Amino acid sequence: MVEVQRVSKTFQRIGKNGATELKALSDVTISIREKEFVSIIGPSGCGKTTLLKIIDGLTPYDGGEILINGKKVTGPGPDRAVVFQTFALLPWRTVLANVEFSLELRQLPREQRTATARDYLKRVGLADFENHYPHELSGGMQQRAGLARALAVNPSILLMDEPFGSVDAQTRQLLQEELLELWQREQKTVIFITHSMDEAVYLADRVVVMTPRPGRVAEILDVPLPRPRIPDVVRRDPKFVDLTNYIWDSLKKAMENHH
Amino acid sequence: MKARISVNVLSIATLAVLWEVAGRLMDTTLIPPLSNIASAWLRLLMNGKLLENLVMSLWTLAAGFFLAVILGVIIGVLMGRFRPVEHFLDLYINALMSAPMTAFVPLLIMWFGLGVESRIAVVFLFAFFVIVINTMTGVKQVDRIFVEMARSFGAKELEVFFKVVLPAAMPAIMAGVSIGMGRAVKGIVTAEMLLTLTGIGGMIMQYGSAFATDALFAVILTILMVAMIAMKLVKIVDRRLTGWKAEIAIE
Ligand SMILES: Nc1ncnc2c1ncn2[C@@H]1O[C@H](COP(=O)(O)OP(=O)(O)OP(=O)(O)O)[C@@H](O)[C@H]1O
Ligand SMILES: [Mg+2]
Repeated sequence: MVEVQRVSKTFQRIGKNGATELKALSDVTISIREKEFVSIIGPSGCGKTTLLKIIDGLTPYDGGEILINGKKVTGPGPDRAVVFQTFALLPWRTVLANVEFSLELRQLPREQRTATARDYLKRVGLADFENHYPHELSGGMQQRAGLARALAVNPSILLMDEPFGSVDAQTRQLLQEELLELWQREQKTVIFITHSMDEAVYLADRVVVMTPRPGRVAEILDVPLPRPRIPDVVRRDPKFVDLTNYIWDSLKKAMENHH
Repeated sequence: MKARISVNVLSIATLAVLWEVAGRLMDTTLIPPLSNIASAWLRLLMNGKLLENLVMSLWTLAAGFFLAVILGVIIGVLMGRFRPVEHFLDLYINALMSAPMTAFVPLLIMWFGLGVESRIAVVFLFAFFVIVINTMTGVKQVDRIFVEMARSFGAKELEVFFKVVLPAAMPAIMAGVSIGMGRAVKGIVTAEMLLTLTGIGGMIMQYGSAFATDALFAVILTILMVAMIAMKLVKIVDRRLTGWKAEIAIE
């Protein structure tokens, strides 16, 4: 259980005209059940990445509390792993060595590390590319490598920051399906940031809609679609269409209230 | 690659022939024909003088350069990682980076005397600053996202440094080391010429003042070869450490 309780975040920036403050998040409260798949959607700059980093323990926050199974988050922990929007693969390491990176930090012995990394590369369909360098891979493949790296440490909570934002529509669709399969198999809590209403609804049990900066929770919506979700069937389901339309309106309203 | 090498060979051969012809036509000691230089070179090689001096020079070069790399990287890393250290030092480092190091030679003689320590110090000073600046820049330019990624997976400060910051900065560090090596070779010859007349720099002064131009050219060509080999060595190390960067750049 991940509880985000009244979390606020203000960035201090020291620029040419002295210190300025930028309120990124205001009073955000979300409660996420174990093994739940939650999408977060909101306009650019509303603090989604900031929120994800706060949940991961990378960014300190200045109001409220993050609790994971009742324990307050004070830094990154082995129960969480992030899939970064820009992949963040180390260019001097091969794909295999990139996946091993997260295991090295957990002091796994070399052989075990390699075996585990290979296993996860196979699961994301990159088995044949373990000796490639990141720049030799397509965007979708790099994203899978990032996913393998996060999965390899076997986190119970997967934090994904617009992971499919920079791949083409077809690859995106494929990755979405693979992610759902994987999520069903591995039984993890997933917090998934996206710009796409379609993606948010297709994947999630619940969708969190955020307002423009400073980011607040505008609405939290249940997705009443059965699983397993078959893309063509789901997307034609009237409930799917209604919900995406509703989110569109909700986002638009949030924008209008803002101006 | 092959084409490149054969063009190089052609270029050297052309120069050699022109030199030989010019030397024979002009018939002065100022430009000795290449064959005379070659025989002077053989003579110096046979009587052991060249090798003896070369070993002495190389040893000093290695010592000074090694110190410059170790200290240069350490100081550069500290400046790149810690703002106060940077602000404390960057004024001096930047000033000294482009200062003519020869100006410091008299000072070094006073501090270290006329022994090998002075020569090592000169080599060090020639190579040190450019390594510091490149290392600092490299460390500062490491993409934040890599550091965050490492922290997110539980890396501690030292792990962040050794597994992310250092390898990410390595291309910039090696660029500094490579320029530093070129400067170090200048440093050793300068030191030997100005300080003690030992090593290959000493030989240059000796043959120069005796107008022994064929021997002088033999030594100069030796220095050029040493410089080339030294740069090649740096390049080999660079390839090993940052081959990934070269591969990206080729595309
Ligand atoms: N380290 C930081 N220092 C100062 N300001 C920051 C920092 N990180 C983020 N911000 C600011 O906080 C706001 C929210 O940023 P954030 O990256 O969380 O937005 P986002 O919702 O993820 O946007 P996008 O959808 O474009 O990725 C932005 O205005 C950004 O400029
Ligand atoms: Mg973002």
